[in-house]
Amino acid sequence: MLVEFVKKEWVIDLMASGYRIFVMVKQVPDQGSKAGLNPDGTIDRARAKRMLNPFDKFALQAALHTKKLYGGSVTAISMGPPPAVEILLEALEHGVDRGFLLSDRRLAASDTLATAYALYKTINYVGEFDIIFCGLQTTDGDTAQVGPQLAERLNLPQVTYCEDFSIKNNKVHARRIIEGGHQTVIADPPVLVTIANSYHPLEYKSFHGAWRVQQLQRKQEELAKYITTINLDDVGADPERCGLKGSPTIVAKTEKVGELGGSCNMHEGKAVDELVKEVIVGSSVKEFLSVNGKPQ
Amino acid sequence: MAEDTEPKKDAKAELKDMSDICPIGDVLVIAEHILGDLQPVTLELLGAGRMLADKMSRKLLCLVLGHELGDIPQRLIEYGADEVYVAEHEELKYYRTLPYRRVVCDFLESLPSQPHTALLGSTTTGRDLAPRIAAHFDTGLTADTTELDIGPYEHTSKVDPSKIGLYPNCLYAIRPSFGESLKARILGPWKNPQMATTRPGVMIPLNRDPKRKGEIKKVPVNLKKEDHRLLVDEIVREVAKGVKLAEADVIVAGGFGMGTQEGFALLKELAACFENSAVGASRKVVDLGWIPYQHQVGQTGKTVRPKLYIACGISGAIQHRVGMSKSGLIIAINKDPDAAIFKFAHHGIVGDVYQIIPEMIKQFKQVQSTEGVKAVVGTH
Repeated sequence: MLVEFVKKEWVIDLMASGYRIFVMVKQVPDQGSKAGLNPDGTIDRARAKRMLNPFDKFALQAALHTKKLYGGSVTAISMGPPPAVEILLEALEHGVDRGFLLSDRRLAASDTLATAYALYKTINYVGEFDIIFCGLQTTDGDTAQVGPQLAERLNLPQVTYCEDFSIKNNKVHARRIIEGGHQTVIADPPVLVTIANSYHPLEYKSFHGAWRVQQLQRKQEELAKYITTINLDDVGADPERCGLKGSPTIVAKTEKVGELGGSCNMHEGKAVDELVKEVIVGSSVKEFLSVNGKPQ
Repeated sequence: MAEDTEPKKDAKAELKDMSDICPIGDVLVIAEHILGDLQPVTLELLGAGRMLADKMSRKLLCLVLGHELGDIPQRLIEYGADEVYVAEHEELKYYRTLPYRRVVCDFLESLPSQPHTALLGSTTTGRDLAPRIAAHFDTGLTADTTELDIGPYEHTSKVDPSKIGLYPNCLYAIRPSFGESLKARILGPWKNPQMATTRPGVMIPLNRDPKRKGEIKKVPVNLKKEDHRLLVDEIVREVAKGVKLAEADVIVAGGFGMGTQEGFALLKELAACFENSAVGASRKVVDLGWIPYQHQVGQTGKTVRPKLYIACGISGAIQHRVGMSKSGLIIAINKDPDAAIFKFAHHGIVGDVYQIIPEMIKQFKQVQSTEGVKAVVGTH
């Protein structure tokens, strides 16, 4: 009975009316956990705990919310080694309709430009779209470059640092952060949007979603209907433009930033007024006070 | 960023001279302004760009796009540019990705030889525009650099034998990675322009010199229909809200140790004791909704370098440290004597923020009334 219910409830209907929404997601090492950290401070990606890039959660929320409000389908696309399928399963639990993982050893050591090229080929392979959501940046690269570079490859208008997104009369309305304020922009789809972390946080996955994915994982052939793993040959990407060869930047040198510490003047174990007085006398803090306590 | 092996010293003798691949050249800064309000990061980039151009004995170029730019081109010269290229058009009044991208790409393509280096700020504008330019030209771009230099590079990796050689004048784009525990030197010597964005508040601008001479040249603007696929409906500047973290001389920041949202009222009161101050916050409290994102300092928020940073109830996780460790004077208040923040603060007070901060406000007010202190202006 339950299995029947799953089938009825959850069918991929990409021909249905509404928006064809793509969301780009990446699996990153969990920098918060000590596991997998090399002595020199670099991350051993094989040992590190893995997680969905925190910024991508906002993009996922934007994609699912857009589908909920305006209808359509959500396709999650990722690039990475085979374990990255975990984040596609996570996306399915949250309500994404299907996922694609581009996985190929020839992609190793890709920089942002090579990544954007590979994702561009992947998107062309997956099909047509109206809106592509990306996280603003990843926590392992911190560049915020892949979104705009992907938009350049796809020749799309882009909205980066988006913190509010809606569709009115088939036009995208978005609010993006700028220095000291924000701007609102309007565009016709197709458009690529990178979502800032001031967007709504990702809603908790439903019990249903988690349960459905659990059921799917029991049958590989069922799961394969929803998650497709592809390689460079499938998407017709030129291996010369991927990986180290296709990357215009290289990390020539890394050096550890010296351990901090030792120079802090600690004030403790005294009465509060004494502690504060020590800091006022012992530092230049006074110099920054406004004149005569006049509010600025 | 791709990873590569360190060059081997003994291979040096055989290395081919690759100086024709990335010859020395001019340095280009792409200026940034919001409705004619020149952004501080542009002046900082001119300072850094001047140093790079001098190292190569070449010119510092600056490209500015906008409408009715007034004295901005002249100011760019006074801050270090040799040649200022001005693209003026009504459609360039405010930043939009596609029209700006079109003008910058056309400008670069019109040059007889590519600049050696092209620099933009790591702002919402620079981080939006730079990747598109880099992708268009298939050239390397390093994000959020904190140091820039020019130097040689020996490439010995056998992945692509045609690239093996000695590159004598590469842009060293240096940026923190993995939090701030590592510094990575990133190169892209295969093609000019070598591009980088630079964090605001890090590079040092030159002093303004009204006597500096330079050339101002017009750049043609030829926009296409497809450049207008996205329109700007409205620009709202929230100056009135007072969240100008990057420009504040003093930042009073609160973390999870403040305990409640209401605690931030106390921080505002403390901040009000100072000239040109702002309230900052750690990511955790922003995520909790205690204070808007605009106040967030750190890896996923703003990078700041105020003269004084008072961290209240902030543990000092690496993600926060990245955004504020360059502050002039850091005073930390935390009840945990082992908190990471005490590893890099200059003064640390161990205690309850709700006892320390009111006492601070009280004593600061006493100092203000008795000494009539003057606010210090200038560098710290």
